[in-house]
Amino acid sequence: MFGMWDAVLFQLGPLKVDHLIVTEWVIIAILAIFAYSASKKMEMVPTGLQNVLEWIVTFTYDFFTSLIENEDAAKKWAPLLSTFFMFIIISNYSGLIPGAAHVTGFQPPTSNWNVTATLALITAFTVQLAGFQTHGLHYLGHFVSPNPVMLPLNLLEEITHPLSLTVRLFGNIFGEEMVFAFILAMVPFLIPTALMALSLLLGGIQAIVFTLLSANYIAASTGHGH
Amino acid sequence: MEMGLALGAAIAVSFAGLGGGVGMGQAGGKAVEAIARQPEAGGDIRTLVFITFAFIETLTIYGLVIAFMLVNKIQ
Repeated sequence: MFGMWDAVLFQLGPLKVDHLIVTEWVIIAILAIFAYSASKKMEMVPTGLQNVLEWIVTFTYDFFTSLIENEDAAKKWAPLLSTFFMFIIISNYSGLIPGAAHVTGFQPPTSNWNVTATLALITAFTVQLAGFQTHGLHYLGHFVSPNPVMLPLNLLEEITHPLSLTVRLFGNIFGEEMVFAFILAMVPFLIPTALMALSLLLGGIQAIVFTLLSANYIAASTGHGH
Repeated sequence: MEMGLALGAAIAVSFAGLGGGVGMGQAGGKAVEAIARQPEAGGDIRTLVFITFAFIETLTIYGLVIAFMLVNKIQ
């Protein structure tokens, strides 16, 4: 069944390398090759690939810096969020390649708990780190604001943020791929095209939502009022 | 047992979808009204409504995930 494959390809020391890790490596390689070939010969007046890359970088950078009030934090963490955005959008769209979810071992990495949980945990630690870097030890004060009674709830909030990020991305992409598999089994031709157009929209929106919420959490931990 | 699991999955996903659908409809409708009344605030409203949708959607997705867990138990 889709997503339940136990496809361990080879062992790397104590680590089991399965199909998801290999798919992620391919996505990282695509991003790296794209970035390298676009920035190899940079010119003042960009053409071709450099133009595309500059558009992506300025668009995402402006978007995330406009969300985070604190300018230092915005400059520091916007590149991370841009990278998240590109990684998530490419792995969401990798489910649209013919054969994905049907060839054993080929599924979009974001349709698995473990991948999205990793991304969400990186965000969670980034939020705490950014808070401590901006406010120093005063950051601890926000856990007891407005009142020490709220301490358990504030701690719970820090846990539910990455949890909801994980479940949202995983549930959306996994659900989409499952529905897609069912429809393809029932009607193999023509009808799934409409669903594919919808999942193009959905994959983009989920990438935006994940990074938008991450930016919001960073903005909350680095902003004023703590 | 299996029938119970199937019913549980159906109930989980349908109620989650019902609540999320009503909530999203109201939020989306109000957002469209707000943008129509004040088009220059459109960018801010769009960002806010996206965040709202994401939060509402999470609850629906929780139901979906529970449904998947139950369906996986059916052999």
